[in-house]
Amino acid sequence: MKVMNIRCKIFLLLSLILFNGCELFEPHEYAGKIRGEKSINTTNLYQIENNCRNKEVIKFAVISDSQGWYNQLEDCVNDINSRGDIDFVLHLGDLTDYGATHEFAMQRDILQKLRYPYLCVIGNHDCLGNGEYVFKEIFGELNFSFMAGDTRFVMLNTNSLEFDYSERVPDFIYIEELLSVKNPSHKRTIVAMHAAPNSEQLVKNLSKSFHSYISRFPNLLFCLNGHGHSFLESDIFNDGIVYYQCTCLKKRGYYIFTLNADGYEKEIIMY
Amino acid sequence: MKKRLLCIKVIISLLFILISMNLHSECKYDKRINNYKKAWAKLIPSYTKIQYGGGMGLLSFGTGWDYGKRNQGETDIFFGFLPKYSTDKAKATFTLKQNYIPWSVQLTPIFSIEPFSCGGYFNTIFGSEFWSRQPHKYPKGYYQLPSKIRMHIFMGQRITFLFSKEQRYLAKSISLYYELSTSDILLISRIDNSYLRPRDYLRLSFGLKLHLF
Repeated sequence: MKVMNIRCKIFLLLSLILFNGCELFEPHEYAGKIRGEKSINTTNLYQIENNCRNKEVIKFAVISDSQGWYNQLEDCVNDINSRGDIDFVLHLGDLTDYGATHEFAMQRDILQKLRYPYLCVIGNHDCLGNGEYVFKEIFGELNFSFMAGDTRFVMLNTNSLEFDYSERVPDFIYIEELLSVKNPSHKRTIVAMHAAPNSEQLVKNLSKSFHSYISRFPNLLFCLNGHGHSFLESDIFNDGIVYYQCTCLKKRGYYIFTLNADGYEKEIIMY
Repeated sequence: MKKRLLCIKVIISLLFILISMNLHSECKYDKRINNYKKAWAKLIPSYTKIQYGGGMGLLSFGTGWDYGKRNQGETDIFFGFLPKYSTDKAKATFTLKQNYIPWSVQLTPIFSIEPFSCGGYFNTIFGSEFWSRQPHKYPKGYYQLPSKIRMHIFMGQRITFLFSKEQRYLAKSISLYYELSTSDILLISRIDNSYLRPRDYLRLSFGLKLHLF
């Protein structure tokens, strides 16, 4: 019996040591045990800022809602990689269906194959279970911002419904802090989010306030959102600021935006 | 006088009847209690298990019952422990598991292998951030599957060592097993995407079963 017990202990110990790092041994869907690359937004953000410094024309791709569509995401990454003219890629959220740890890791592994730096904003599905913690660890903060040339990109968490009243979603204090920063090279602004202010995710009473807050950014060009699973162009608040809704990856499409001295151009790519 | 005698006779006979009735009922009582205890004794778990991995926690401790002519059926309950990792807190899980082990091949008097086992389990994770029924704040049918409950299916193999009577301390035998499992959401992902390789949708777990009696 004693011999048996020691053998078993050794067996268990070995299995614990040998296989702890492998995804085959993931202890639970919501374990939050992350292998591979972390803090991707933080790293890529600096790369984008450096690459785009003093650049006149900036070209970026926008993809969204890739949850559960790994084949399509891989094809999309290949299609974007086959172009030679992109500066960076924005993912507008919903990388996962259930906020499970392995979903984030598998989506990241495909996105890592992009030739260009990419950034992800959090979607409502990504907040399920303990997904927000995994998102923070793999990608970074839920609200963040960066400069690409003379344009400030503001990436915001608008999934109020997922956070109840315990956290500031949308975070007006973060927006105010950003507004108070005076940067002479900051000429225009683009705001990107997962759920548009008129969706069921954002607190209904706050959609107008949210829009008036972000309208205070210098020369707000347009807004980007996902969540709707279709291409849609709408001037939600009738003030000339267009919300461009990106389709889901199931429908095999993405946006290409080109920013130049005169303004911007928009292109829809189906692959 | 006669009346008195009759009275005493009646009392004595009544007492006798009462006592005999009592004795009789005591016999039945014993039987009933015995049966009652036997019925509950059947519910004493016959083994304990420890499992590593398999979507029910890092380490899970369980107990259960085996049944069937060749002990081919097994029902386990497990409590699992999940460390904090990159989330906000450590978590506990509970699992109800059904095993089917159709064959056991006795290779030596003390060593046997079970070449195939299969089954399924339901796992639930504790914590207010997980729900089994969609909270009212969401529109109807907003999310498809609950985050609190996962279904898994598995297949695996076992080896069993039988202790001789002198060697027995706590257990009659010990089994080591491994299982390849997949969960509902992993399986759905695999069906929808040829991109997923086996290591993406399969999970490997190891376990140990101490057969008490």
